[in-house]
Amino acid sequence: MRKIFRYILAFAIMGAVAGLQGCEDYFDKEDNPNLVPNPPLPTLLTTTTHKTGINSYLVSNITSYFVQYLASPSAGGSSDTYQITDYTGTWDALYWAMADIYDMRQLAIEQGATEYVGVANVLMAYHLSLVNDMWGDAPYSEAFANITLTPAFDDEANLYDVTTQLLDEAIVELQKPESTVRLIATSDVIHEGNVANWVKTAYALKARQLNKLSGTSFYNPQAVLEAVDNSYTSNADNAEMGVFQTRNPWAAVALSNAGNLLGGWLSEQLIQHLDGTSYGVFDPRLEQITDPTVNGDFVGTPNGTGNVGPANNTVKDENYISRNSPLTGDESPLIIVSYPEVKLIEAEAAFRAGQLDRAFEAYREAIRASMELLEVAQADADAYLSSSAVAQSASELTLDRIFQEKYVVTYLNPEAWNDARRYDYQYANFTLPAGAALPTFIRRVAYPSGEASKNPNTPDVTDLSLPLWWDQ
Amino acid sequence: MRNSFTLLVLLLMCCWVPALAQENTVSGRVTGADEGMPLPGVSVTVKGTTIGTTTDADGRFTLNVPSDESILEFRFLGYRIQEVRVGNQRQVNVVMATDTQQLDEVVVTALGITREKKALGYAAQEVRTEELVQNRQPNVLNAMQGKVAGVTISSTGGAPGQGANIQIRGINSIDPNRPNQPLFVIDGIQVNNSTSTFGEGAELRGMSNRLADLNPDDIESINILRGGAATALYGLRGANGVVVITTKSGQKGEMRVNFTSTAGWEEVNKFPKIQDTYTQGYTGEYDPTSFWPSWGPTWQEARQIDPTHPEGIYNHFEDAYETGNQFRNTLTFSGGTDAITFSSSLSRLDHEGVLPFTDYQNTSARLNTEVKLSEKFSTGGNFNYIRSGGKRYNADRFNEMLSYWSPRWDVRDYVKPDGTMQSYGNDNPIYAASTNQFEDDVSRFIGGLNFSYKPLSWLDFNYRIGLDTYTDDRTRTAPGPRNVPDERLLDENGQGFVHEYTTKFRSINSTFIASLNKSFGDQFNATVRVGHELYDEYIKSFGVQGEELSVFDFFKLSNARFLSSSENESEYRLMGIFGEASFDYGDFLFLTLTGRNDITSSLAKAKRSFFYPSASISYIASEHLELPEFINQTKVRLSYAQIGKDASPYSISSGYAPYTSLPTGYTGATRAALLGNRELKPEFTNTYEAGLEMSFLDNRIGFDFTYYYSLSKDQILNIDVASTTGYVRAAINAGKMRNKGVEIVLNATPVRTTNFNWDTKLIFSANRNKILSLPEGLEEVTYASQFGYVGSTVTMKLIEGQPYGNIYGSHWQRYYGPGEEEDPLFIDESRPIVIGANGFPVRAPLSSQKLLGNSQPDWIGGFTNTFTYKGLSLTALLDARVGLEKYNQMDNFFAAFGIAEYTEDRNQTRVFDGVLSDGTPNTKEVWLGQGVGPDGVDYGNGYYRNHYRGVSENFVEDASWVRLRSLTLRYSLPQQWFDSIFIRNAALSFTGNNLWLSTDYKGFDPETSFSPSGSNVDGFSGFTYPAVRSYLFTLNIGL
Repeated sequence: MRKIFRYILAFAIMGAVAGLQGCEDYFDKEDNPNLVPNPPLPTLLTTTTHKTGINSYLVSNITSYFVQYLASPSAGGSSDTYQITDYTGTWDALYWAMADIYDMRQLAIEQGATEYVGVANVLMAYHLSLVNDMWGDAPYSEAFANITLTPAFDDEANLYDVTTQLLDEAIVELQKPESTVRLIATSDVIHEGNVANWVKTAYALKARQLNKLSGTSFYNPQAVLEAVDNSYTSNADNAEMGVFQTRNPWAAVALSNAGNLLGGWLSEQLIQHLDGTSYGVFDPRLEQITDPTVNGDFVGTPNGTGNVGPANNTVKDENYISRNSPLTGDESPLIIVSYPEVKLIEAEAAFRAGQLDRAFEAYREAIRASMELLEVAQADADAYLSSSAVAQSASELTLDRIFQEKYVVTYLNPEAWNDARRYDYQYANFTLPAGAALPTFIRRVAYPSGEASKNPNTPDVTDLSLPLWWDQ
Repeated sequence: MRNSFTLLVLLLMCCWVPALAQENTVSGRVTGADEGMPLPGVSVTVKGTTIGTTTDADGRFTLNVPSDESILEFRFLGYRIQEVRVGNQRQVNVVMATDTQQLDEVVVTALGITREKKALGYAAQEVRTEELVQNRQPNVLNAMQGKVAGVTISSTGGAPGQGANIQIRGINSIDPNRPNQPLFVIDGIQVNNSTSTFGEGAELRGMSNRLADLNPDDIESINILRGGAATALYGLRGANGVVVITTKSGQKGEMRVNFTSTAGWEEVNKFPKIQDTYTQGYTGEYDPTSFWPSWGPTWQEARQIDPTHPEGIYNHFEDAYETGNQFRNTLTFSGGTDAITFSSSLSRLDHEGVLPFTDYQNTSARLNTEVKLSEKFSTGGNFNYIRSGGKRYNADRFNEMLSYWSPRWDVRDYVKPDGTMQSYGNDNPIYAASTNQFEDDVSRFIGGLNFSYKPLSWLDFNYRIGLDTYTDDRTRTAPGPRNVPDERLLDENGQGFVHEYTTKFRSINSTFIASLNKSFGDQFNATVRVGHELYDEYIKSFGVQGEELSVFDFFKLSNARFLSSSENESEYRLMGIFGEASFDYGDFLFLTLTGRNDITSSLAKAKRSFFYPSASISYIASEHLELPEFINQTKVRLSYAQIGKDASPYSISSGYAPYTSLPTGYTGATRAALLGNRELKPEFTNTYEAGLEMSFLDNRIGFDFTYYYSLSKDQILNIDVASTTGYVRAAINAGKMRNKGVEIVLNATPVRTTNFNWDTKLIFSANRNKILSLPEGLEEVTYASQFGYVGSTVTMKLIEGQPYGNIYGSHWQRYYGPGEEEDPLFIDESRPIVIGANGFPVRAPLSSQKLLGNSQPDWIGGFTNTFTYKGLSLTALLDARVGLEKYNQMDNFFAAFGIAEYTEDRNQTRVFDGVLSDGTPNTKEVWLGQGVGPDGVDYGNGYYRNHYRGVSENFVEDASWVRLRSLTLRYSLPQQWFDSIFIRNAALSFTGNNLWLSTDYKGFDPETSFSPSGSNVDGFSGFTYPAVRSYLFTLNIGL
């Protein structure tokens, strides 16, 4: 018995001594086993392209209330009624995505992977525009680079310039022939590794950026048209992201709503825009966007008012985001920028440049392509195209008509709010929401508390009717 | 062979002794005054001689005394020494009274080293089993509340098994993610007391701190080492203090069996006050399907419109909570021979909470054994197996849903016959609790072996190896849609899910100590110890989340349409080499010096090894100087210690984590949340401590006073950073923090007679914290924030010159005349509030965030009184925490949704007290309600929604409290009842916990916290699991 314990003691002491001797390796636990120190570029490509799609949804889930695509089922919804609302979650998602994009860009530059540099530039430009168009001034030059823990806020107009510059660089980088690492189709969840489409997307975003200046003295419609020329030629080129863990996030909203977890209610403004109330002609795209109510008709919900009844809010007597729509089905991709939108940019720029024929052609093509994207039956599409809701000749074309169509084309896209602000919300029958917290339409959102509480450089913006620099 | 011989000799002696000395034999029995239980192992000696014995397991002794004049002296640890003149008695029965003021006591100090209390140059306070089990708290930490100076223990909520938080001498670490919890050591083994929040949403589910696994009935004593000098030998893991727990060991003698059974019930001890006038709807318009629970008309008006409206409205908060109950049984066996002693226990706890569908079970088995192989060599083992866990619910969500629930409807009517949610529209919290479940199942083993070898009288070696290992399985489930007509889905149940999580934890702890003891002359003694310690920890967690169930209630991963995974792994290693030299001179002067060098795996190679020393002196003036007679003891203590501290594992590395938002078939990497820092260096805390202990009047009054001062510099913390950095947190070495404070323990026995004793103990402690400097370039460090409506979000941040725990937020604008400068940090409450032209008070711009309160108490106190009359004892513990504030998020929601009692005035007009922007008094009368007021003005959403709810100042409240923490009445059945039956002793007791609470706080009991136990964020107490008042009955039988 004693012997056994003696052995145990001896072993234990030996163990302790061995612990002492081998200590150098024994204590080498510097690298976190849960992390990858140097990820391959394709894994970052998947992350960044996926986040880009998701972020377009996150932003749109805010702006769609401002442009009255959506309305809260209850009265006084905070986004509906322009209240100061804390969008920390969206802000954080945008910046964490930009950090990944930034890292992908740095790694790609180190490795000479020009295609990845180009894609990173496009994605960064897109994110920057989302941030810039919601908040105005925002961190960029000191952000995500590990220079400071409290990045400075860059001027909104400078950020605009950076965005355009990033796109120009992207176009150059993407067209360099010798990328050391090639885009991989299965890792690129936006363009499946198609470099040519990335170039077109860079131009599409550039066209958007340039066209956004329509209200400023910097506006150059010719430059817009040049960008459009190099951009999409069909819906097949669209920048869209359709890879989801479960389902398209709008479809998830629709699914919850079906289970009476209310959300995704379509605004009265949108329904009346499409059902003939505002423009006299029933737009067949409405039936591809939503399902008829239990009563077989189309009823929207006024912003700020909530469920108007008469039945209670679980009776499906109004319209919602639909899982049957080609835009918001379980597997529908999130559209970042589309061919019909580019065509309407072209129509607007051409119109403003006085090239009415070109404007008219682009306008008609945009409507046709939009019908195609929404899988509208050819006969219905043709009927609409020949109806009084659509300009039938170049002379009938007006900016109002272009904005009228663009409102439909950018359904659930963040770009809609930029257009609404440029257009001063002059859509037919567009009114302030009931109980609006502002005397005028909303022009920006307040900085999120998440940033303000950790970064003392955050500006204190409380007046949401203050326009951004391009929105004068 | 030699063992058998020793045994034989002993046996012979036992028979021999009575035969030798029949004439002068005295026998008797020793019992404890506190519980009336027999005391085994009491030393009984004839004063002035070497004649002596110890009592057996039954408390009995037999002793041969030289003469009738002999005086018997009874000594037992923790009891007052008692002397009895034998006279002509042959039967001497003694009742020994407990004594908490004994300098001759031996206490367990660092690394299991036992030392005389008088030799300690630092504060140490012990809690013994009697004190500990008195309030029958299932969680050991809660059982210590109000009993130890310098220690703040908060139950984070009243859920069964819910974690408790312990803080020793304030917050030493700025990092909220770096627990400020002390190190826990059970029988020499470092054990884990983390609160794991692994698993989606676990941080709000009131998870247990791992020490809750321990059965309080198993504990013999707890010694709390507070200062740096006390914990120096434990190294950096003891930097926040050490709680040394010793479990019960066996006594030689026949086997004893003890059975303890506790049963009782509990209820919420404090509900918020809510309005009972207004019903569902908005702007005073009744709507029985409205989202708005109480902005409608009065219920009387609603009944005119809707005859089905009940008479009155429900108190949904009181309705939603139930009466909980608990039941614990513990069976212990102990006994032994000269060579082997053992103590074992089996226990089972079943606990159902006040929030419906929450419960907790704990089954524990323990074996402690000591084997004496020879005079030189002994060994022992401690083994504890525990299975624990239960159903947890998210109290934050529960109370939030309750706030949205309209009291026009009965919240208890939560389920339809087809099993789906019963609701008029909003989510029903009880339905949520019944379906959205999170259950943990922990299987844990704590075991240790120790070996002690004493080859020479002045030399001994001690080695101990311990293992703490557990598996924590968690299952999170919710049913999917049943697809029946008119089904309402619960938000958080989604399309149904099943998540399975597992954490494996393993820590090995090895300690070797060699001690040399040498006397020089008869005045000078020296002890030198050298040792080596190793701590090796491995944690691996992984989980699979299955979303969208095909069969709505079949909770198997294979039944889920989408699967995703999460995993985490961590290894940590720490080695210390240490030495201690202690010298004592003349039994009145004691000096102890220590040094320890740690090598940690969590810092980079160049910074990994570091040394720190300590020194302490104890001077027993009463042994050295002639002091007046009424002074029994006087001891002065002084100590200095430095303690190093390392970083959390992997704080030095950055990298890319898996991007998990992709479906199967895609992989991605994303920047890790933490910006690691290779330059991190150890942080050091220097502590100075001075103390004075005195006792007077035959030890009937005594005090122990301690002052300490500690300065931590280069603190390692992971601060929350703005997302624009691309990170969530960053690791930095940041600045300096100071803590200083006093601790006072007062003991007194105002009445001491044969049959009646009154003992009283008062503890008081106060800590003052100050952030002396922050890292360069940072003006403030935000470490926590909690949501409040429209600008009332509060943040907790560190600002130079300010203490830890400050809560900042928005505030009403005060009037400053021309040329008067406004302080950017402090609200000047003497100034009038500025009233706008619309007649309502003006909120200062949100960019102005001012100090609204501090979550650290100015002082804490505990006051225990015990009255003992024969076998009856009554103990009352008053506990106080004073001078702290907390943010009441619940009240913020109550204001927003018209639930708070004070919103009853919504249909009144008021002239707000204050001045207009030009300084003239406000005279404008305004209506507080919604919509168009009696004056024809449209007030929109009304005062409470437009103004009141958006100002943090309204919701940061005084969270001070005084409570009757526990009241225990105990009756030990008279001993003579059991003389002839197999029962040795029995006692009955009643315990009431939280019977009385006094606080101005508007929410639930402000001791509860939003943050899980182990968090340093204690400033938020809104939607918490409410604390409970419990009534418990206990039966204790000894066989």
